[in-house]
Formats: sequence, C-alpha cells, structure tokens
Amino acid sequence: MSRVDLLDARRAPLLARPFYEGGDPGPIVAAIAHVPEILEAGMPFLSAVFGPSALPVRLKEMVVLRTSALLECRYCIESHSVVARGSGLSRDEVLALRGNKSLAGHFTDAAERALLDWVDAVAGETGPVPEKVSVAFRAHFAEPDLVEVTLLAASTMMLNRFCTALELPSAPITVARLAEEELL
Amino acid sequence: MRAVARAVADGALPGRVWLYSNYHCNLACSYCLTESAPKVLKRELTAQHMLEVATEASALGFTALGVTGGEPFLLPHMPETIARLANVLPVVVLTNGTLFNTARLERMRPLADLPVQIQISLDSADPIVNDTMRGPENWRKVIEAIPSLIRRGIRVRIATTGEEIDDDDLARLCSLHRRLGVSDEDHVVRPIVQRGRAADNGMGVFAEAGDLPPELTITADGAFWSPFGPTVHGGTLDTDLLVTRATAPLSMPASALLRLVMGRPAGSDAKLHIR
Repeated sequence: MSRVDLLDARRAPLLARPFYEGGDPGPIVAAIAHVPEILEAGMPFLSAVFGPSALPVRLKEMVVLRTSALLECRYCIESHSVVARGSGLSRDEVLALRGNKSLAGHFTDAAERALLDWVDAVAGETGPVPEKVSVAFRAHFAEPDLVEVTLLAASTMMLNRFCTALELPSAPITVARLAEEELL
Repeated sequence: MRAVARAVADGALPGRVWLYSNYHCNLACSYCLTESAPKVLKRELTAQHMLEVATEASALGFTALGVTGGEPFLLPHMPETIARLANVLPVVVLTNGTLFNTARLERMRPLADLPVQIQISLDSADPIVNDTMRGPENWRKVIEAIPSLIRRGIRVRIATTGEEIDDDDLARLCSLHRRLGVSDEDHVVRPIVQRGRAADNGMGVFAEAGDLPPELTITADGAFWSPFGPTVHGGTLDTDLLVTRATAPLSMPASALLRLVMGRPAGSDAKLHIR
C-alpha cells in the first residue's frame, strides 16, 4: 500500500497531463504529480539521465540495478530487474547485481568490473571514492562517462529513497514477469 | 511589456486573479463546490499573503482581484484587508451576505471610496426556494444586507446560481434586485458547476478546463486554472485543475498558466462563459 495517494489520469493536474497521454505513467509520476511544477521540470531531467544516451543501455541498467540493491529499494529492484532482462542482462547477472550471486563470478569484463566498483563506492559507501577505484574506472571510461555514471547512480539513489519512503507499489505486469523468471 | 501583461491586454488571459481567502463557511449550500461548512478545515490565506499576491499580480500586469471562499467575512480582518487590496487593484468579493451586522458594516464604510464590489449570492425571489439551497434565514439576511451596504455607498452585485431558472422566476428576481437598488448590470446569473457537493447531489453542468476561463486562482493548496478549480469532493481536494502547488512568487503559477493557455489548440476557449 502506497503512503501517497497516486493520482490517476482523471485527477492529473494540468501540467501533469502530458505524462498520462500514453496510459498509466507509473507510480513515480503519479506521486510527483501532486507537485506538477516539479514533475514538469523533473521528468525531462530524469528521462535524460535514465533514457538513451552515450552510455550503452547494458551498463546503465547495471548501474541502476546495483545501486537499487545497495539501497534496498524493493520497487526499483523489481522494476529494473525486468528492464535489465529486457536490456540483455542474463538472469544470473541480474541476481548477481542484486547480491544473490557472486558479482566477480558473473562480471569478468575488466571495464564492467571497474564500473561496478565505482558504483559500489558511490552508492554503498559514504565519503570520497577510493583512489584505487577511481584509477581503475578512468582506465576504461572517459570524463563524460564518469559524470554520467555518477549522475545516474546518484539519481537512482534519490529515486530509491523516494520510492522506499513512499512505499510505491510495483506494477502487476512487473510482478508477473518477475514470477515467470523466478526473480521475485 | 511582460508576457502576462501582453496576454491580458490581448484578451488571451483574463485580468482577474482570484484569492481563496478560506474554505470554511457559516452555511453548507447544497451545490457548494468546495464542500464548505462551519466545521471544515479552514485552510486560510493570511492577509499578508493576499496583499503580496495583489502586489505581484499588479506588477505582472493583471488588472483585478477576486476574493472568494468559503465565506471571506468569517475572517475577522476581512474589511480592512479588502481596503488594502483595493488600493492595489480593483476587487470583487464573493460573500453569502449573512454576516453584515452593524459593527461590520461600519468597518466597511471606507470601501465606498475604493474600487470594491461586494457580490452577494441570491438564488431566488422566493425565500423558501432560496433557503432550501442556501440554508435557513439566508434570504432574509441577504435582503437586509444589500440596502445596508448600498446606503453606505458600497457597490453591490447579486449572483444567482441555479440549474433551471425560468423566465417568471428570473423576472421576479430582477424586480426584487432593482427594488433593493441593484441594477441589471450588477446582476449575474450563472450555472451550477457539477463539482463538490453539487456532484453528490446530481446538480449542475459538467465543466473541465476548456469550459472555464483561465483565471489564475490562488489558494492555501496551490494555484488553479479557475475559481471553479480548487473544489473538494468527499473531503479531498480535486487536483485536475491544479496548475502549480507553489503560489509564490506569483510569476511561477502565472507563467505556467500562460503556457497552458498558449498551448491550447486554436479555437479552444471557455464554453460555459462562467464568471
């Protein structure tokens, strides 16, 4: 049960209506719609951060799912397990990112390992990222990648806390898909 | 010229900004959009907030103010607040007209010299018909209040809200308001809008944004498309006509409203002509 009244299309404020035109926009939009000026300004930002970009979608989903697992956000873990599977990650890779299998055993590519170490340092710790982790990351990624990955992890953390605090519900279709794949 | 001022000058945006001073009321009318009643949450705008809105509205290029509720005159400071608002922009105040005792009337005397109109609800020339919708003794109090205000030099408008007002009823009502000293020009007849308590009672006409003039409306809950926007149903605020949650600075909801108005397809305009 959500802690916030999720606004359906009938009750969507005027500035929020464009986000409902394609059907149910999901609980994050339906919650933020209470403050439509933030929705209007925030969704383009989130779409830019989470949507198609210079970073491969596989890497982006690794960042999002790993961050969500570290912050124990049920809604985000469930939603992005489905997205990650659709983005080409294997079931075992999804389970590893969620902490249910060995990361080292399922992510052997050096660049991906460096990426995950960076994410673990950003989302799993406080304080600066250790120099060793930074050097390893920069060996594989350019300056803009550093910014984008960090912004993606940080934005995910923001949404992780938002979704967890407000207890946003997973969509039935997400739950069904997870059940099919034994990922619940 | 700033965007709002230009839109107001061009007629694209109505010039009036509405202020929902409060939601509570001494009456509980059968068609009330906001489910107002004596014991509902008050949800007031402070006098200072209203004055700040007025000042910024004027600077942005709006040309008039409206104060509504709830019953504005339940707020003790209201006569003086109206005077302060009217020193910034012309004001129309919507009231049920039942709270004008001698003391309050005397405090309202200064309004005679200011651009202020007091708009009082009167729904029928027949006391029984009127009071069935608006509450016991409403008709008598209104009939006493109108000449009392006019005698003090205050301009009074009468607003009649109803579902079906036939020609005979309207003729009797017009005869009554003329006798009370209110001209035809100052008598407005408007439909009940099917929101709030009216929806529960199966009254009124359905209205959405396209049916209503886009009059920026400031409440304790946010800024709305129209004074028919911040309605309450089942104790819950309706959000379908919410523009922005933030109301200050006023430029934020004003520019959002302007973007919504300018984004409408050509030919989209208020269909119900509700004022």
